[in-house]
Amino acid sequence: MTGQTRQKRRITQGQAAFVLLLPFLATYALFLVYPFLRGIWISLHDWNLLAVAFNPDAKEFVGLRNYERVMWGRNIEWGAVASPLLQGIGAAGVALSVFLRRAGRVSKVTAIALGLASALLFVLPGFHPGEGGRWYDRRFWPTVGNTLVFVGWTVPGVTVAALLIAAALNRETRAMSVYRTLFFLSQILSVTVVTLIWQIMFSPRQGLIANVTEAFGGSPIVWLTDERFAMAAIVITTIWWSLGIAMILFLAGMQDISKDLYEAGALDNATGARAFWYITLPNLKRTITLVIVLQVILQFQVFGQAHLMTQGGPNDTTQVLVRYIYQTAFRDSELGRASAMAVFLFVIMGGFSILQFVLGREDDQ
Amino acid sequence: MKHLIIGAAVAATVATGATAQEVTLGRFFGACEDAGTDTKASVGEACIIQSIINAADAELDGITVTTLPTDWGNYYDQIKAAYAGGTPPDVHVMHRHRVPEFAGLGAIADISGDLEAAGIDPSDWSENALAAVSYEGGIYGVPMDFHANLWHVNMDLMAAAGLVEDGKPVLPTSPEELLQHAQMVKDATGQDYLAADFAQFPIGVRLVLALMWQQNANIFDGDTATINNDAAANAVTAMTQLFDAGLANPQLNYADSQQAFLNGEAAILVNGTWVVDFYTAEAAKEEVALDNYYVADFPTLFDTGATWADSHMWAIPASLDGDQRAAAMKVLAFINDHNIDWARTGHMAVRTSVLESAEYAGLPHRDEYTGTAAIARDTPPSERYGAIQDVLNRELQAIWLTGKDVTAALADAEAEVQDLLDR
Repeated sequence: MTGQTRQKRRITQGQAAFVLLLPFLATYALFLVYPFLRGIWISLHDWNLLAVAFNPDAKEFVGLRNYERVMWGRNIEWGAVASPLLQGIGAAGVALSVFLRRAGRVSKVTAIALGLASALLFVLPGFHPGEGGRWYDRRFWPTVGNTLVFVGWTVPGVTVAALLIAAALNRETRAMSVYRTLFFLSQILSVTVVTLIWQIMFSPRQGLIANVTEAFGGSPIVWLTDERFAMAAIVITTIWWSLGIAMILFLAGMQDISKDLYEAGALDNATGARAFWYITLPNLKRTITLVIVLQVILQFQVFGQAHLMTQGGPNDTTQVLVRYIYQTAFRDSELGRASAMAVFLFVIMGGFSILQFVLGREDDQ
Repeated sequence: MKHLIIGAAVAATVATGATAQEVTLGRFFGACEDAGTDTKASVGEACIIQSIINAADAELDGITVTTLPTDWGNYYDQIKAAYAGGTPPDVHVMHRHRVPEFAGLGAIADISGDLEAAGIDPSDWSENALAAVSYEGGIYGVPMDFHANLWHVNMDLMAAAGLVEDGKPVLPTSPEELLQHAQMVKDATGQDYLAADFAQFPIGVRLVLALMWQQNANIFDGDTATINNDAAANAVTAMTQLFDAGLANPQLNYADSQQAFLNGEAAILVNGTWVVDFYTAEAAKEEVALDNYYVADFPTLFDTGATWADSHMWAIPASLDGDQRAAAMKVLAFINDHNIDWARTGHMAVRTSVLESAEYAGLPHRDEYTGTAAIARDTPPSERYGAIQDVLNRELQAIWLTGKDVTAALADAEAEVQDLLDR
């Protein structure tokens, strides 16, 4: 009798779990899986947003042509020194990962991840249009490049700044909790508000920065329309905006570090910056990895800042991938082509998610 | 009993008919809080159009008009998404250059059969206005204005440089003279000669287009892009010579260039008809450096007069029918009736009866740019207008903001516009 009840309950538990999960699964399938698969489906068509809305038969199956039109070109060749700097770094990265693995300094997975990333850096920039050739879409790869530059500046910027602020604010006083709130405040603003604030800050006429520069006798920088500074302006804005969540994650990580470690360190004369370097940082390794991966995935989707502050300009120097997807889909009505780019973006971000998964698992071992 | 039921049914029908018909309206021009319903008192595009809409909401019996929240920069993206989602606004504003795209797909309604019932008389529209809303034999909207690029002039700076004659500014008649005048202003006042938004919105593109049209050239002809040629290079260098000599600043965006003009830091601002009433109001203020404001037609630097122009119009979705369509048409008629109020912005009216009225002629500075209507031009109609403008804006910015070689930029622009025309 007892056994029967237990068995019965176990089955009920499994069913209960399924029932409880069902709303989530249904929502997930409806709002994430289905649109994602449909996106891939659309990317295989010549699909005009408006034309298809008025006549569902106006689309045409074109296979992978959208991908070819976006990413490929005529007479594309590959050369080992087509882009010496990037390819050099890539080659060096491959060599380094082999060396580090041989020397036993890094684990197998890390070596493979680093090696793979470096190999991509060596291979991808090597493609270029040969004699009489051209990219079919001349803006796509530069746009990908801009997005990478943006991510490459923003992610380390956010991580380092948030880490330093968190370390400074990791004390239990009232003043510190006020500061913590202040630094987190920027995070709750919407992108429209943030960009508005910073457009005023960067304005060469009314802006705070211009006034400070002028007070020191310099001529104000026209941040948003100067090709040397436009990307920097967007990066600065984004760092200011995204600090909060990274800072909170770091603070949580720091509060998890046992006080005993610091006491033991203090006995060995490790306080202040030394304690930070030898105790805080090593113990925050997992949090840092998490913050970096979250930031990478988040910042690849940058749109509002470039769209509202610079409109992708000047001369496309701040044109980013999501903005290009948006323009292609809604301004040019070319939904198929835009979906192909979106799938490309998904592959990149998926790659980073897998990387995080791999690195996270390695720490568990 | 039977009579009672019929009576109740009739009463119910009448009651349903009497409840207000809600008309949703989509527009750009920016936001205006508290525009009121006085269509004669508001200032600036946003407030004038909103006061007309508010008045329609208040005065039209049985119709309420709800203005949807939209944003200037993304307006067409929003409208397209709304059409694609099957929920377009009942009435929305658009530019004439978008007619081929929207009418071609069957998105907006041919309203030639609805005009008379709504009390709109198309024979009162000027010939150009009718052409602006016509597409393949149908009428796809109610025109509201012609707007064009003008030269807004600070007469005090011009006078200091000796460039005023008979109370009118002396404007250049060739690129060489343009440079000469600019130098005169710089020498006499230390200020820039010309400001415009060369950095963000396509005011610089419209300027270069006008200078190309003045040489009887255009950016494309049928399906062939024609940008990499002498006419385009001449047009571009007419501007870059000013930048190179430090007589104009290409890095100012729309707000900054406008501010420079109002601050008295530029003798000329190239901008549209839409700011005439706003600058008039600003110039009257004590604290604004611009005091002596004049509006001039875009000068002819080459062979024929030409300036960039477009037209605002109001359309309704093709899917609209029955009472809802009739209500939407009444709103269009109301806007058409208030053409004179809209013209207060500085835009050119579309109705002959308004154009010939004393009230129109008496609008501030109106007599100073009467030549504009005759030189108004635009690029040939294309479904890819937006994308083409974007290509030109990018490549022109590359020239004046990043020092890209003119020939290389024009070649790239031609290749990209050709790609767009081929798609």
